[in-house]
Amino acid sequence: MLNAIFISVGFLAACGGFLAAVLVVAEKKILNYGPCTLDINAGERELIVDGGSTLLSALAENSIFIPSACGGRGSCAYCKLKVLEGAGFVGPVEEPHLTPEELETGIRLSCQVKIRNDLKIEIPKELFAVKHFRAKLIGKEMLTYDIAGLRMELIEPQTIDFVAGQYIQLESEEYKSRESVMRAYSISSVPSDNRHIELMIRKVPEGICTTWVFDYLQEGKDLYFSGPYGEFHLSETDAPIIFIASGSGMAPIWSIIQRMVEKGIQRNAVYFFGALSQKDLFYADELNQIVDSSEWFQFVPSLLQEPEDSDWQGERGLITDVVKRYFPDTFAHEAYLCGSPGMINACISVLTEGGMPEEKIYYDKFA
Amino acid sequence: MKRSPAEDELIQSLSPSKFSAQGFLGHDTRPVDEIISADQRKLDRLGISINTLVDSLKAVYQQAQQAYGAEIQITPGVFVAFYESRGRVPSPFKTDGVFEKGEAVAREKETGQHIIITELGIALIERHHFFQGLGSRYRMDPEVAVRLLGLSSFKEGKP
Repeated sequence: MLNAIFISVGFLAACGGFLAAVLVVAEKKILNYGPCTLDINAGERELIVDGGSTLLSALAENSIFIPSACGGRGSCAYCKLKVLEGAGFVGPVEEPHLTPEELETGIRLSCQVKIRNDLKIEIPKELFAVKHFRAKLIGKEMLTYDIAGLRMELIEPQTIDFVAGQYIQLESEEYKSRESVMRAYSISSVPSDNRHIELMIRKVPEGICTTWVFDYLQEGKDLYFSGPYGEFHLSETDAPIIFIASGSGMAPIWSIIQRMVEKGIQRNAVYFFGALSQKDLFYADELNQIVDSSEWFQFVPSLLQEPEDSDWQGERGLITDVVKRYFPDTFAHEAYLCGSPGMINACISVLTEGGMPEEKIYYDKFA
Repeated sequence: MKRSPAEDELIQSLSPSKFSAQGFLGHDTRPVDEIISADQRKLDRLGISINTLVDSLKAVYQQAQQAYGAEIQITPGVFVAFYESRGRVPSPFKTDGVFEKGEAVAREKETGQHIIITELGIALIERHHFFQGLGSRYRMDPEVAVRLLGLSSFKEGKP
């Protein structure tokens, strides 16, 4: 009786294994699209890749790293690229993430474009500089009760080439059954220190990555990230500057300000920092040091819920009201903003009311 | 009762993922359509439509967002504060797209009862009548939401 059961089970397992083998061979033979050519930026670069993979993975195999937070599942919509020819139809996974205008101009989710033939694509030039890095965490400090500052030493590659204002995608480790995720954080250190990068990370309640950073990550640990990404950076004009950023939004602004000091860029600049109370302030000493040693820089923190009877002598109220009071006329200025979409939109409103053309407002929206 | 493949796929989407540490079902083991029906019955008993509730949630979310983290009063004894964060989160219903992160926490000071309002949470209610499962951090129980938002005295179609 037992023998009969074993024989039956063995036979079924063998059938299953045979069918699986048939499927693998069939996929390789029938779905083998052969080598395909990726024409990037009208002949600027050409790659020969194996057909059958996704555009995202094929580019990654050739060390071109397109941002992605969902591991190629078509959820995050970070991996948009313009595909001029050869992409095939837009599937139901892609469609919700693409506007009619994007569809018209050939924008696709590169994780959903399967390579079946030659493709012509456009890739923003800055993405060619993106690499995968291994680094060691050499410093972790609490800047406030909910913002941590991280400092990393690069191991492989040993240096990074970035522009002040750019960001990286940090890879968290698995913990407590939470899978590894990628999250974007602006670089807060100065580009000339190309052996290290620093980040400012704010704790998000129940956040997968920030919980790992705050509760599990320790100095001495290896970290992995890709970058640099982003187009947020200081222009090369002489226009006076209005910086507006709060909380961890300070990161790209601090990188830009440090670079200005280092390079002797003395454009008049005012940095407006909004916070609820004094316990939300950080790097105030460092910023005030720049104020004291220069004539071109001003730092204006404004507190929204500081107790009336406290020793605070600085500005109080909504940061947009303070900006309006300092600069009723913004026509001649440029603005650099970093924060949530709501905050950015409110700032844009105030700045344009003061006469600033929208094209002079540069921002890094958190979304 | 055995679930269909479509139901299995939905449960998978609503479970914890790269984008949601806890997922959207909490510790609720009821089928999704049962969760939706039960919450709809609560709203019906309260005499409030989905549209009225959604409009109110959107208004409070926007008010909180524009206060940049400051606490503002929305109804007697109830305050809301906004917590921003970087990134986007995809809807578990694949056709909905992605939504900005950030949450507005509306809390009654005396009892501590609260709801956490997110753009995605509002969309799940508006498009799918899905308030999320019991135990989900972002579940907005209809009775609690109606009370905290001051809609209890509002009855559809009645003066």
